[in-house]
Amino acid sequence: MIPRIALVGMPNVGKTALFNKMTGSFQRVANFPGVTVEKKTGWVSEHGERIIEVVDLPGIYSLDATTLDEKVTKDFLLKKEKDASADLFVLVLDATNLDKSLYLAIQLKELGYPLVIALNLMDEAKKRNFTIDLKLFAEKLNALVIPTSASTGEGVKELVAVLKNELSRHEKLTLSVPENSQKVFRSPAYVNGIFSQIDRILDEVTLTKLRPDHFSDRIDYFVLHPIWGIVILFSLLIFIFQTLFSWASPLQDLIESGFTFMGELASSHIGNELLKSLLVDGVISGVGGVLVFLPQIVLLFLFIQFLEDLGYLGRAAFLMDSFMRKIGLPGKSVIPLLSSHACAIPGILSTRVIDNFRERLITMLVIPLTTCSARLPVYSILIAALIPDVGVPGISWLRLPGLMLFGLYMLGFVSALLVSLIFKKTLPHSSPSMLLMELPPYRIPKIKNLILVMNNKAMIFIKKAGGIILIVSIVIWALVTFPQKDGISHIEESYAADIGRVFEPVFRPLGFDWRITTALIPSIGAREVVVSALSLVLSVDGENERGMTEALVHHFGLGTLVALLVWFVFAPQCISTFAVMKRETNSIKWPVIMVLYTTTLAYVAAYLARQAFLIWS
Amino acid sequence: MTINQAPLNTKLIVRSFTIHDVREFSDLESRLMHLGFMDGEEIRITRKAPLFKGPLLVEVRGRSVALTSDEAGLVLVEVMK
Repeated sequence: MIPRIALVGMPNVGKTALFNKMTGSFQRVANFPGVTVEKKTGWVSEHGERIIEVVDLPGIYSLDATTLDEKVTKDFLLKKEKDASADLFVLVLDATNLDKSLYLAIQLKELGYPLVIALNLMDEAKKRNFTIDLKLFAEKLNALVIPTSASTGEGVKELVAVLKNELSRHEKLTLSVPENSQKVFRSPAYVNGIFSQIDRILDEVTLTKLRPDHFSDRIDYFVLHPIWGIVILFSLLIFIFQTLFSWASPLQDLIESGFTFMGELASSHIGNELLKSLLVDGVISGVGGVLVFLPQIVLLFLFIQFLEDLGYLGRAAFLMDSFMRKIGLPGKSVIPLLSSHACAIPGILSTRVIDNFRERLITMLVIPLTTCSARLPVYSILIAALIPDVGVPGISWLRLPGLMLFGLYMLGFVSALLVSLIFKKTLPHSSPSMLLMELPPYRIPKIKNLILVMNNKAMIFIKKAGGIILIVSIVIWALVTFPQKDGISHIEESYAADIGRVFEPVFRPLGFDWRITTALIPSIGAREVVVSALSLVLSVDGENERGMTEALVHHFGLGTLVALLVWFVFAPQCISTFAVMKRETNSIKWPVIMVLYTTTLAYVAAYLARQAFLIWS
Repeated sequence: MTINQAPLNTKLIVRSFTIHDVREFSDLESRLMHLGFMDGEEIRITRKAPLFKGPLLVEVRGRSVALTSDEAGLVLVEVMK
């Protein structure tokens, strides 16, 4: 039996970075039994052999758990059966915030846990002039203390050596968990007792004090200012959407020409017409048409991760709290609502920070209205077809397409707010959730971490393009190509046309003909596919944006394109969003309500937009 | 008075959650205690959003804590003399 250790500590102390450094590539991600909280397991290996199993527990501040993630960790810690728990606990402390990290340390010490402490971020604390008597510190906590720096890997070897030694001479775990522990853990006498111990220990072990962080206060004077704060928040958003267009386009051109080259290469070297068509019109055009948007999607994830690492997202929650409460959402829902601009799935998962189920539910229900990155390809192509690329008169760097994109994001966001107001009025009431939280000090985001996140997101997107998008592209190609008459395909008589025509009557008021309805079907799997699907039914190269926009305008007319654009602001919802929502609400009812209302909204709005456009033009 | 009624940028002493208090505490009250709002603790309001009973920023145990006006209404304080 491989001995098991568990990593515990506050959120954002570098626990996961330490876990990665310890386990390298030997990792597995699953859920804790019965709940959708991620459980990361990894193995420390020596000469290719697994010697220690490591479990990374969700971050907690104390044993008084109020959120789902905290409850999971608490249950794991207080478990009586040993095989379900761990042989040894590694407590990760933040050396730059010992006052707060020590709370859990003292609690665990008092309950009799055998502890090994990884004193993380010690390098950063030293930079701020903080030094402590490590030997005395270890004595006071009755634990082994190893200073580490999870980002550089310093101290990890020593930590593993200590763990091996401890596990080899380890005796049975005996805990003294009090009866009715929840009541004890939240009695003022108990809390006060722990605080006085923290004060005493820090007083005794500190050699030179940590330099206070006035930097954050000075920045917060502006960032949290009732007027400047809002101005900064909105300027940031406009900047992000503007750069999504301008920074990404050189890279997109590069990818585009790469795929065009591949297409030409294939055309000139393959003799068989059907095979050539499959490769050029199906695979290269379909996959290329979606991969072109990789730079934009990666940039968006980069910005959101940057703001999170910087510590800004909590500030956004503070700024928006009283406004958000008016429409039935807590300020904290700003975080899921912002991150759902990358993808609705992490957005829905991050609603767990909201402790009240009703408010969490409302947030989840409106998240699909925010513009996720999968809509970007669709928006890009439709904006290019509808709006000329010129500057705003007088402000030449602000260009109309970027402004239009910002407008679409705002339309999604404002609709999310309005819909939540409706849910606020209709869903049964309950007591409001908490804002109460600590604003973390600002931290300059680590480039290494940002690159890691960008790399992960890019890989996920590329895998998707190689998997589902490739399959969908081939299926659509086949539906568009067959049945053939005398070896020639007539798209009007293809299987795709038959399917599209079934739905055409429903969508005729929106101006959608069978070609659009055909392209809409696969977008339920992944929205970005609609671009390649359209390129197939219109038989133009998906990765050639110019040709694509001209074909769109030529075949459908501006009014229909406006309707299509509006349709995509609200619908359709992808299968994965539906699935994750079903899992998180533990019912089929809420995801069904979500799909029904977004589709209805999309239909009505697209119809009105088209009518308005036709009257106006 | 409670925190939401107290003046800005003034040293305040918390007068809630004394060690003799033995009633049941809610999640919210427990969170307040864990963040350091304990009897005798010195705190300071550093920012108040002026419009529609906006949230407050309070410095407690050297940290910045954000809380709504209603949440701040749960903690009794007095101005330090």
